[in-house]
Amino acid sequence: MPALSPGNTAWVLVATALVMFMTMPALGMFYGGLVRKKNVLNTLMQCFITLALVSALWVAFGYSLAFSDGELIPGVLGDFKWAFLSGISPDSLSPYYVSDSAGRIPHLLFAMFQCMFAVITPALIIGAFAERMKFSAFLAFTVAWLFIVYVPLAHMVWSTNGWLNKLGVMDFAGGIVVHVNAGIAALVTALFIGRRRALKAFPPHNLPFTLIGSAMLWFGWFGFNAGSSLAADGLAASALVTTNTAAAVAAIVWAITDSIVNGKATILGVATGAVAGLAAITPAAGFVNVGGAFFIGAASSLICFFMVSFVKARLGYDDALDAFGCHGVGGLFGSLCTGLFADPAIWRAYGGGHAGLFFGNPRQFLVQALACAVSIALAFGGTLAILKVIDLFIGVRVDSKAEAMGLDITQHEERAYTVIE
Amino acid sequence: MTATPILSGSNTAWVIMATAMVMFMTVPALALFYGGLVRKKNVLSVLMQCFITLALVSVLWVVAGYSLAFSDSELIPGVLGDFKWALFNGITPNSLSPYYISDAAGRIPHILYAMFQCMFAVITPALIIGAFAERMKFSAFLAFTVAWLFLIYVPVAHMVWSTNGWLCKLGVLDFAGGTVVHVNAGVAALATALFIGKRKSLKAFPPHNLPFTLIGAAMLWFGWFGFNAGSALAADGLAASAFMTTNTAAAVAALVWALMDSLVNGKATILGVATGAVVGLVAITPAAGFVNVGGALAIGAIASAVCFVMVTVVKKKLGYDDALDAFGCHGIGGLVGALCTGIFADPAIWKGFGGNYSGLLYGNSRQLLIQLLACLVSVVLSFLGTLIILKVVDLTIGVRVDAKVEAIGLDITQHEERAYTVIE
Repeated sequence: MPALSPGNTAWVLVATALVMFMTMPALGMFYGGLVRKKNVLNTLMQCFITLALVSALWVAFGYSLAFSDGELIPGVLGDFKWAFLSGISPDSLSPYYVSDSAGRIPHLLFAMFQCMFAVITPALIIGAFAERMKFSAFLAFTVAWLFIVYVPLAHMVWSTNGWLNKLGVMDFAGGIVVHVNAGIAALVTALFIGRRRALKAFPPHNLPFTLIGSAMLWFGWFGFNAGSSLAADGLAASALVTTNTAAAVAAIVWAITDSIVNGKATILGVATGAVAGLAAITPAAGFVNVGGAFFIGAASSLICFFMVSFVKARLGYDDALDAFGCHGVGGLFGSLCTGLFADPAIWRAYGGGHAGLFFGNPRQFLVQALACAVSIALAFGGTLAILKVIDLFIGVRVDSKAEAMGLDITQHEERAYTVIE
Repeated sequence: MTATPILSGSNTAWVIMATAMVMFMTVPALALFYGGLVRKKNVLSVLMQCFITLALVSVLWVVAGYSLAFSDSELIPGVLGDFKWALFNGITPNSLSPYYISDAAGRIPHILYAMFQCMFAVITPALIIGAFAERMKFSAFLAFTVAWLFLIYVPVAHMVWSTNGWLCKLGVLDFAGGTVVHVNAGVAALATALFIGKRKSLKAFPPHNLPFTLIGAAMLWFGWFGFNAGSALAADGLAASAFMTTNTAAAVAALVWALMDSLVNGKATILGVATGAVVGLVAITPAAGFVNVGGALAIGAIASAVCFVMVTVVKKKLGYDDALDAFGCHGIGGLVGALCTGIFADPAIWKGFGGNYSGLLYGNSRQLLIQLLACLVSVVLSFLGTLIILKVVDLTIGVRVDAKVEAIGLDITQHEERAYTVIE
């Protein structure tokens, strides 16, 4: 008989709050600092309203459709059994757990932990279309994207009935479900909505916000990755080690690359590097050892640096705040690396034995590649279809006059800062 | 079942964290929320008021506040404790808390319970700052806070939360402080705004830094998980349930405010969603551990709609200057939430935790009357007590800065500092 573990419950309560903290204020400040003064409120607002909107939709239908054990589409989509958390009482135990040996957490708590993942995923996409999307179109997009893209992928990868889960895909804390998914959607949105209109570059209006936001993301990510153990155990501690290590190495590698290529280590660079490392270690956090974390952090930083500073400029798409360059590319790389570096020694005491290619299990790498391909296809096709429909009805992009005036005043009739008093 | 109570390491871990999260609510969260709303020349004074409240109340709490509020022997039966636990006398690190919610779970240390309560005593007077922002003398503010803590907060906390409190014995439901914290502070805010008068200025007062305000609101939301889910005093399903209702009510209230904003004013505003979320959090506070998800959705929506009308219509009509809507959000939201607790409390929530609390919707109409009585007691005590304190402070120190000082701003006149440099 499974029993509740108060210790695990204590940790996951904290971890859930930490993941909430990642969307607002952390991501809000990270993105808000990068945009121009006239658009900072709009960016913060998008993050904040995503927290509200997805939280309400999640307890209503989202959680049930993603995680219910009854299914509308076998292996792909749950049903409405747990809609409005129906049948889940405070003393129900979570049917989801990582290691069988540890006690369970309350079912309600698992639903809320997952809620915060469903909140941050669409919020990550904001970086791609920043400074030029209509607020009404943004709201419609977020609702549609949650149900059409996020929920099915979460079911496929994390639900016990999901077909990718049954195939044995490894995604410890959401490299595929969160980062690849949001990153690809970001690329599609940037391509669909087009470049921002301006003659020159777009210098960040408040870099302290960006670096503080990135540090808060790093902090919250301990809840994201170590919390995904769903227990206060050695696996959580191991995920904490790999998360911190990969973030640290990625920030350092970005700073070195920056100073070699551009002559100086920049604030924007270390902030971006740390986030790229965190995105990349996410799927691997509970599967790799510290060596794996070093490699994943270093290599993801180099690849993302290359993507953001050369490929993006060459191809000319305007992924305004590098949501694709960091989360899409970092997430993809991390998800594939999980299939290479997963070390069976990590799970020896936890009833698993997950091994990657370098530990003699080449099949894992293929499963990871397949899951990434599914996520890319779903996020690409789904996002494009959603944007097309919204564009027909509401119009996705603000007109050029509104864009020049800024979204704060045109979408919300507010200004971020006063000049005199 | 009279097993000897034992310490639960897990519950202790969670409540230590929750205590830190409630501390985080006063500064930086509330300070950023309020600080962003005032003008540039007053931002330091608002931050300072929040920060010094944390320091001042923390000291007073361990000296005498905790004992007077929670001691098991009493100076005034049912209303006020005594000095038995002054300076934590007799409380050792291995004393177990006499206060707990569910008997099945192990206890936390007594000292930890006292500190968890300390952070509630800190944030309550800090909430009032929103009403008299930009025009109160710093010295008068300090005197007011000390007096208000002992004359208003401590007796209400004793009545509602102490096992000997008369409202507690009557069966009032206040999971995390709807009456003790929000109604109490909100009504004091109204009394202060009326007493001190309107700010002098020809035009409106646009917030000087709305990003601060929204970031502060998000941090409040985060800290509120410690406030409400921490009030289970255990890491159990009740804490998880309170976490869920808290997040749900905040979310719905923010959305309803945005909707009303766009219907009435044409646009969803940043100030609106920040205010709406806080209103939802306030309203769910007394109900957090008693209602189900449907109750949380209803409470969030009702509180948001009611407070929207209060802040945008009633305040203007009545003309009092509750500068940052401390009464409009905390007073009204707290009242709505405390009464709704008596309506929506679902007995199924406590089935696994040795309790049985139901509201009007589940056939217990008496509960709504008790909630109403507790609100009345808090409203009357807080309104009259606050006015008396202000009158005394005004006669001795003077509550309000003079017109010239107000025009220059409180940062430079009260603290001789400026918030931001202009050139370098």
